[in-house]
Amino acid sequence: MFKFFSACRKESLILIRDLAGLVMLFIMPMIMVMILALVQEQGWSSLSKDPSIPVLLVDEDHDTLGAKIQDGLKSSNIFKIFTSIEGKPITREFAKEKIAKGSYNVAVIIPKGSTKIIRHKVQVMVTQIVSGIMMPVDNPFLDIQSNDSINIIIYFDPGIKGTFKYAFMATMKEYSMFIESSMIFGSFNTELKKMFPQYRPPKTEYKESVFFTEIFPAGKDEKAVPSTTQHNIPAWALFAMFFIVIPMTGSMIKERDEGSMIRIYTMPVSYFIIFMAKVSVYAVVCIIQFILMMLAGKFILPLAGIPSLTIGSNYMGILLMMIVSSLAALGFSIAVGTIARTHQQAAAFGVVSVVVLSALGGLWVPVYLMPEFMRNLATWSPLNWAHVGFIDLFLRDATIVDVIPQMAKLLAFFIVMISAALFYRRINSPINS
Amino acid sequence: MSEKVIIEIRDLVKIYKGSDEPAIKGISLDIFQGEIFGLLGPNGAGKTTTISILCGLFHATSGSARIDGMDIHSHLNEIKRIIGVVPQDVALYPTLTAWENLTFFGNMYGIRGIKLKEKIAEGLSVFGLEKHANKKIANCSGGIKRRINLIAGLLHEPKVIFLDEPTVGIDVQSRVVILDYLKELNHKGTTVIYTSHYMEEAEKLCSRVVIIDRGTVVSMGNPRELVAEHPEFKDLENIFLHLTGKDLRD
Ligand SMILES: Nc1ncnc2c1ncn2[C@@H]1O[C@H](COP(=O)(O)OP(=O)(O)OP(=O)(O)O)[C@@H](O)[C@H]1O
Ligand SMILES: [Mg+2]
Repeated sequence: MFKFFSACRKESLILIRDLAGLVMLFIMPMIMVMILALVQEQGWSSLSKDPSIPVLLVDEDHDTLGAKIQDGLKSSNIFKIFTSIEGKPITREFAKEKIAKGSYNVAVIIPKGSTKIIRHKVQVMVTQIVSGIMMPVDNPFLDIQSNDSINIIIYFDPGIKGTFKYAFMATMKEYSMFIESSMIFGSFNTELKKMFPQYRPPKTEYKESVFFTEIFPAGKDEKAVPSTTQHNIPAWALFAMFFIVIPMTGSMIKERDEGSMIRIYTMPVSYFIIFMAKVSVYAVVCIIQFILMMLAGKFILPLAGIPSLTIGSNYMGILLMMIVSSLAALGFSIAVGTIARTHQQAAAFGVVSVVVLSALGGLWVPVYLMPEFMRNLATWSPLNWAHVGFIDLFLRDATIVDVIPQMAKLLAFFIVMISAALFYRRINSPINS
Repeated sequence: MSEKVIIEIRDLVKIYKGSDEPAIKGISLDIFQGEIFGLLGPNGAGKTTTISILCGLFHATSGSARIDGMDIHSHLNEIKRIIGVVPQDVALYPTLTAWENLTFFGNMYGIRGIKLKEKIAEGLSVFGLEKHANKKIANCSGGIKRRINLIAGLLHEPKVIFLDEPTVGIDVQSRVVILDYLKELNHKGTTVIYTSHYMEEAEKLCSRVVIIDRGTVVSMGNPRELVAEHPEFKDLENIFLHLTGKDLRD
């Protein structure tokens, strides 16, 4: 056992001697998390606070529909509406050209007579209904069909993001539905008034009566609203944690290149003890990294107006989860470091596989947005297990028992990786030959 | 010097992965307890390969070897306790000090505490390195590194020591100290196996030498007797050149 502690001491001394390297190891991930959080939060808040997404509106209708859509888009506070540029009203061709050139992202064209068509349609419908009540049989009105529809044209910049496009289309649909409904309401009033002169229409305008309240059930604390940051900080932190593959394999390969490892192979001590010492010391590094990133999320990012990171209250569970996640990252590093022959091999393979595993694991795009077969793959990524575990602990106040499946998988991954390294070491001579 | 065979090598062959030419082609040797045994040969002869197999760094492709009666395959762990290895290239942690390096390697041999401190202090004083104890290896001169490299392999007072070119690239003073120390260890009963390109040095130091070339033994015996057998060559170096030819090696 004292050989193990001596090896730990050696490993720590080497880390501490490279003070600059050590500081980088702790500071860089923190900076990464903060910058990513700021960039993202800024992106979303600009979407919600500052009406800065320009929309060209070509209103050929000059009637209610055009006016209502314009009002609606304005009141959403996301878009800035332009109906004219430099004093000249925007035409269809002009809008198309601007979008094609990429100077604007969206243009909406409301064709001439749109309001008239809706109005006509609504009138036909209301007349049919009202007259149907008065004259249920032999009513010539009931045979009238109105198949006219209006076609609002929207030009999108081809480079525009899918999510933005869907959000915009949804907003547009919502307004046109609303407008149609209020016209029906208005027409009914007019028709009823014609038939029953004593009828007094209500003063109020048509109002929506279905509203949506967003609630995110999260254990006891119902108010814990998961902003994107709440989800993403643990994801980025895990991503950074798995990057330990670079310093870890670096240290292993350096030790081999410098010859110290060859000397150790001639000594009565097993390879297992040597690398477990390395794993232990680097696990402490990983855990400190992770804690620092969480602290940044909790205390530094709020200074920039980003909601403070929620981490729940199961500290024991978080500690255990940090340990098993580090072990998974380090087991992977040991395997890569044992098999790779050069720094370049280890770095290239390590970086690419961490990026792939984190993308597969739903760290960049949530798993539920992935295509079916990718979703199955996601359940094979250790980064996914760790992420799910942390989200459960942070946002759902999970107990240790709740996250045992994740912890068990991470631990199993560690054991498989270590065994692979030992097996490789067994069938290949200590020095590459 | 006793007649007890401490290292027995039989038909040892090593073909490195990815090469078709064997690095050693069936070497057989007996080394006796208490010898200073010289492994001589031009570059690429197979000296390092032979030592590496004996220390358990490589598996031999075929053949067998025993150290102190124990097979190098099946009893490697026991063998590691009684052998000391000084690699050809300096094998130390550059960012740790001499003392820290020696402490770590001593621990790996299973020595600790006061005993280890005494051994390290003794090693450093023999080689006049007391004042370099707390210097990082990276900041030491080549000669000092080599001396520390040597101490690291001897801390556990091994029965058999393997030294791969311990005197290469160092000044005359250091070389004398190292060779004297090896002689002293040998007097205390340690078997010393060492490789060298210095024939004069080997002639003076070794009780027996083996000359290998291109992976095979070309001559073996007491250096003075070898010279006596070939009076026309005057010294070991000329015999060496005669046996191994004058072409350059890779
Ligand atoms: N790791 C290796 N992989 C492949 N071939 C090797 C390896 N190490 C040595 N060799 C080859 O094996 C042969 C013997 O090399 P070895 O290092 O044993 O020679 P040596 O006698 O120690 O030489 P030197 O005096 O230059 O140290 C050489 O041809 C060398 O190129
Ligand atoms: Mg050599």
